[in-house]
Amino acid sequence: MEEADIKYNQATPDKKQSVFSRIAKEKWLYLMLLPGLIYFIVFKYFPMWGVLIAFQDYSPFLGFLGSNWVGFDHFQYFFSNPDFLRLLRNTFILALYDLVFFFPAPIILSLLLNEIRITLYKRTVQTLVYVPHFMSWVIIASISYVFLTTSGGAVNELLQTLIGREINFLASPEWFRPMIMGQIIWKETGWGTVIFLAALASVDQEQYEAAIVDGAGRFRRLWHVTLPAIRSTIVILLILRLGNFLDTGFQQIYLMSNAMNRSVADVFDTYVYFVGITEGAFSYSTAVGLFKSVVGIVLIVGADRLAKKLGQGGLF
Amino acid sequence: MKQTSISRYLILCVIAVVVILAGCNNNETSNNESSGSDDDRMELRVFVPTFSTEPPTDSSPVLQAIEDYTNKNISMEWAPNSNLDDRFNITLSSGDLPHVMYVPSKSPSFISAVEDGAFWELSPYLDDYPNLSQANDIILNNSSINGEIYGIYRSRDLGRNGVIIRKDWLENLGLEEPETIDEFYDMLKAFTEDDPDGNGEDDTYGMVVSQFEGPWDTMQTWFGVPNKWGEDEDGNLYPFFLDDNYMEALDFFKQLYDEGLVNDDFAVMDPAQWSDEVIAGKAGVQVNVLDEGHRIQETMLEGDPDNDDPITVINAVEGPNGLFNLPTSGYSGMLAISRTAVQTEEELAEVLDFLDKLNDEEVQILAENGIEGRHYEMVDGEYQSLADEDQNLQSEYDGLNQMLMYLPEPLSLTPEATELRQLETDLMLENEEIVVPNPAEALISEIYSRQGQQLDTIVLDARIQYIAGQIDESGLDEAVDLWLQSGGQDYIDEINQLYQEADLE
Repeated sequence: MEEADIKYNQATPDKKQSVFSRIAKEKWLYLMLLPGLIYFIVFKYFPMWGVLIAFQDYSPFLGFLGSNWVGFDHFQYFFSNPDFLRLLRNTFILALYDLVFFFPAPIILSLLLNEIRITLYKRTVQTLVYVPHFMSWVIIASISYVFLTTSGGAVNELLQTLIGREINFLASPEWFRPMIMGQIIWKETGWGTVIFLAALASVDQEQYEAAIVDGAGRFRRLWHVTLPAIRSTIVILLILRLGNFLDTGFQQIYLMSNAMNRSVADVFDTYVYFVGITEGAFSYSTAVGLFKSVVGIVLIVGADRLAKKLGQGGLF
Repeated sequence: MKQTSISRYLILCVIAVVVILAGCNNNETSNNESSGSDDDRMELRVFVPTFSTEPPTDSSPVLQAIEDYTNKNISMEWAPNSNLDDRFNITLSSGDLPHVMYVPSKSPSFISAVEDGAFWELSPYLDDYPNLSQANDIILNNSSINGEIYGIYRSRDLGRNGVIIRKDWLENLGLEEPETIDEFYDMLKAFTEDDPDGNGEDDTYGMVVSQFEGPWDTMQTWFGVPNKWGEDEDGNLYPFFLDDNYMEALDFFKQLYDEGLVNDDFAVMDPAQWSDEVIAGKAGVQVNVLDEGHRIQETMLEGDPDNDDPITVINAVEGPNGLFNLPTSGYSGMLAISRTAVQTEEELAEVLDFLDKLNDEEVQILAENGIEGRHYEMVDGEYQSLADEDQNLQSEYDGLNQMLMYLPEPLSLTPEATELRQLETDLMLENEEIVVPNPAEALISEIYSRQGQQLDTIVLDARIQYIAGQIDESGLDEAVDLWLQSGGQDYIDEINQLYQEADLE
């Protein structure tokens, strides 16, 4: 170690000197960095070794070091399991719906908010649409149950008078995905506008004035000035979203699933919970979780490359 | 100079990490030390479920009385019943097992922990203790893992299942208690359509069912469907849903659903609201454990004291093949002793002595009724609670009975039996004559350990979907095929092999 240091020292004395002198100069800043660094090492990087149990036949009693190694057995079993395709399909469809229906929602809402000229009204609306974000999924699930149930729920009472029949939203597979999307849009759209509104605030006002002089109407201004200005923000958020593509949100799905809609409601996250925590198959569920993470990494890197190819700044 | 400062930071960093890690370690060791010292009593950590949000603390006078009686230092580790399975698995995986651990079921994680030697095998020791030696052999076998006993079962009545009926509705409509499935159907029909509460509105229905699958299990048994496993003429076991009577039972359920005799949101109804529908006067029948009958009745009386006898119970109705009922397993979980906390046979003897004493009348009364003069009093030889109105008093003992095994029998005090409570007790005894045992109860299948929950879900979900009309008979067949392909066929083969081996012994 020391030898290597010395060699390194001889090879590039200048560079090394500058690095160390910079560190020495800013030592208090680096000292302040230390707690954060320790936090990540102790609570993020150190526990990451835990994924190794995906390749073991992990038994809690024998512990991490005492369990047997089984290589890729758990992965093989998972991929050959009839559950696999169903989980993959359900997870992908929900993720796609999320991208198509939810992702544009905050953009549209923030564009709408941006067009409001009365500041007080705009601020009030902005604050009010944040509120659902702070409710837990448990509460939202309960509200959904109360509204959508077929025994006296408000929505079904209304349907009864309007179209003369009830729809069993809670217990039919075809309504599961729309219901999940509706909940997400209701809960998170307002909160999602925060970043877009910040980006919109930084758009140069002179460009609008120039556009007005050129005779551009409101829609033209939106199309040619506003949208290009926040394009890079949209791309960055899209890439980040793709990294979590397969995270369908455990709580929400778990709370809304039941015997009647399980065929479409089973996703990787709920599967990991059922198999791992309630059945105690820790190794197997870790393998499933690891597979999900690998897909996440592939997607985020892929999206980043694509964005760069299309001339947008990427993440890395 | 510059290099030294950098290495100083590195050292600082290392020290910080070491201090943090050492801090974690210190905590553990100091905990263990304190558990060893404190007078001469053995320190016992006991993990049991709680149904209350405020279970007794270690300073509860009742717990202290139990400590004095058993000569142990008890610290309770309560796990909320609602996420018991999670807590159980997490405690297992922490490696820091309490001395006495409640085991909710013979779950895969429990079995694999047993295989890894986490718990004591108790069969050689039980005979040395006056109460534990009186455990029922059949139930011991049911709770065993292929004949070996890794936990002492908490005894429960075998015949707890039954039907709870609105008695006043029966009387209003001039009906008798049903004795056959047809009469049961007629009753549900009348409760739904003939305005049993006489308020002139169509606001009642026959039977309430929730997400909990128990009622369907019980009712299909009435039709002669076996309890989990049936046995054919050649002595081979087959799963209940391959029984000839199963379709008949499902068609009956479907008819109930189609005609609106069952609440149509049953598949999504929270089991916590299950009894509310009966209490609120919306539903007239509930298939549940018999003792829920008096709980419903007592809640109804609080709201409407004039309706003095609104509930009755029956055990089962007769089907085309005879009178059957579904038993409970005869126990509700087990108390296992961990090998990590209890390392020597001497310590084991102390813990077993503690468990044995929990069955003494004094401890049963303490854990279930509290302390005389403080939590209850005896009036003319009858038990009367003093804590009914007082949350604080209740939380001094309510839940400690989760430690009890009631071996050989319950000895705690009960209030003077009302007519309904007496009827429930009688029916539980009657039930023992008609319950259908599960021939594979004690057999532990490796495949089931690994995939049991997925296999069960396939069949149980298909049943619900068929009842609600989401799939038809061919969909049901598909589910059975999926079950067989997903490991079900291997499971059947394995169970049969285990069954024959057990038979030979």
